Amino acid sequence: MSRNLWFNLSIALALILIAAFAGRLHKWDWHRSSQHTSQTSREREQTTTDPGSDESDSSKTEILVRFRPNVTRDAIENLTSRLNDEVEDRIEAVDGLDVIEDEDNRSADEVVAQYRALSEVEYAEANSEIKLDHEGAGKHVHANDELFYKQWGLFNHGQDGGKSGADISAMQAWAVTKGSDQVVVAVLDSGVDYTHPDLAGNIWTRPEIIKQYEDEDLTEGAIDDVHGFNVVEDNGDPMDDNGHGTHCAGIIGAEGGNEVGISGVNWTVKIMPLRFMDSDGAGTTKDAIEAINYVINRKRAGVNVRVISASWGSTIKSRAMEDVIRKAGDEGILFVAAAGNDHSDNDAKPHYPASYDLNNVISVAALDRNDELTSFSNWGATSVDVAAPGQQIVSTWLNHGFEERQGTSMATPFVAGVAALILSTNTAISIDDLRTRLLISVDAVPALKGKVATGGRINAAKAVASQ
Amino acid sequence: MSSIDVAIIIKARSDLAHRLGVDESEIGEGQVEQTDFPDASLGAPVEDEMSAQVITPGWRIRLKAGGDTYEYRATARQLRLVNFKGRNYRV
Repeated sequence: MSRNLWFNLSIALALILIAAFAGRLHKWDWHRSSQHTSQTSREREQTTTDPGSDESDSSKTEILVRFRPNVTRDAIENLTSRLNDEVEDRIEAVDGLDVIEDEDNRSADEVVAQYRALSEVEYAEANSEIKLDHEGAGKHVHANDELFYKQWGLFNHGQDGGKSGADISAMQAWAVTKGSDQVVVAVLDSGVDYTHPDLAGNIWTRPEIIKQYEDEDLTEGAIDDVHGFNVVEDNGDPMDDNGHGTHCAGIIGAEGGNEVGISGVNWTVKIMPLRFMDSDGAGTTKDAIEAINYVINRKRAGVNVRVISASWGSTIKSRAMEDVIRKAGDEGILFVAAAGNDHSDNDAKPHYPASYDLNNVISVAALDRNDELTSFSNWGATSVDVAAPGQQIVSTWLNHGFEERQGTSMATPFVAGVAALILSTNTAISIDDLRTRLLISVDAVPALKGKVATGGRINAAKAVASQ
Repeated sequence: MSSIDVAIIIKARSDLAHRLGVDESEIGEGQVEQTDFPDASLGAPVEDEMSAQVITPGWRIRLKAGGDTYEYRATARQLRLVNFKGRNYRV
């Protein structure tokens, strides 16, 4: 009996030990599984989270405030401190524009109202989070254009030795907007081949209700500006005989999704061709001013021209040109300009018109397909605003062809094109807001730190998201 | 890029001889090298000139006369004299 008892107890103990060990195994296995599960969740979060999103304390209210030019840094610090706020960041590209963080749990509307009430403040607005909205997130629109595979600036998947993702995120932007024929972009250049099959549908034509161009100093009466203006020959035919203007126009708005050639940043837009440079790609300050004057005239006449793309320049400073560009800004026209190709610092040696310190000017440097500043591009920690693709850029050319070119000339129309995309979804946006939106939606690029004011590459998807 | 058209060098020699007031036979050819210029003005803008900011392939032509060296810059479409008595010229 006792032997049986011991035998039974031994069996029971063995079973308990087996059960316990089995349970431990199961528990260990479950724990490992749960660790794996949570790790997978984290990985999943990382892949779906916008890499450009801010990981800082998102519970605090942040707003954007631009202080008036005469308000000193000390005064700004005193003001924000008095309101129990902090200057979280300065947007160096825009004088007086600060990111203000609220420290006493007020809503964005309340904080904005506080600052708008101050005489020292030019404007204040909520810092709406820029991210791809849920519906747009992950969506891409692929262009079927024949040479799209070469357009690394729009979609860089590492082709030809490039760095995947080093592009302007065009395909994500196109899930939100592909542009609009109500937005007019002036290409101030060597003219544009307005008969090019990949451009013709996106060339501006003066509506009948808009009168022909008349300028006080025109001795031969009005100019029949059907598609634009030729300042060099003082007529209404801005046909390109150099190729440069046609190339820039294609980057902004070659027809997209038509199986022909390339896709522009905008599939649909209206390009206003202007010719002030000759067949050698050179022009005078006076002719550039005349062309800008034409754009202002057309804007006042009712044409919705909101962007001038200026892929040219020199080291010559002109007060007259500065004045006419400022006037364009007063009319709600953004002026996007090439930083220059001298591989020099524009802070030390300015390059105009990009270096005019005006609220409507954006200065653009050039990146290569690996997100490195190109060997030729100018830079400027305070005077150059952003960078965009500018090397081995394929676009429309003369004789209905397509060619590759490099230069800050090519980077500039990428930015002008993104401005047009923004305008296609928000036609009433002010020039200050348009410029700010372009500058705060960049992707930070390590090679641009200390080289351009925003430290980033233009990002079309962020620029058109959550407007 | 194709090799330089001899006509461009002849044009440069003729231009320099005219500017210096000497016979073309006194202009010696230094060297011709292919290069990329920073813009459409070949990095040699004339007064009050704006130019396309596109990298422009071309040639640097150095000519010698009277012990001095003179630099021309050229593409198939244009020719420029660089820093001649402190100024650039489109030829």
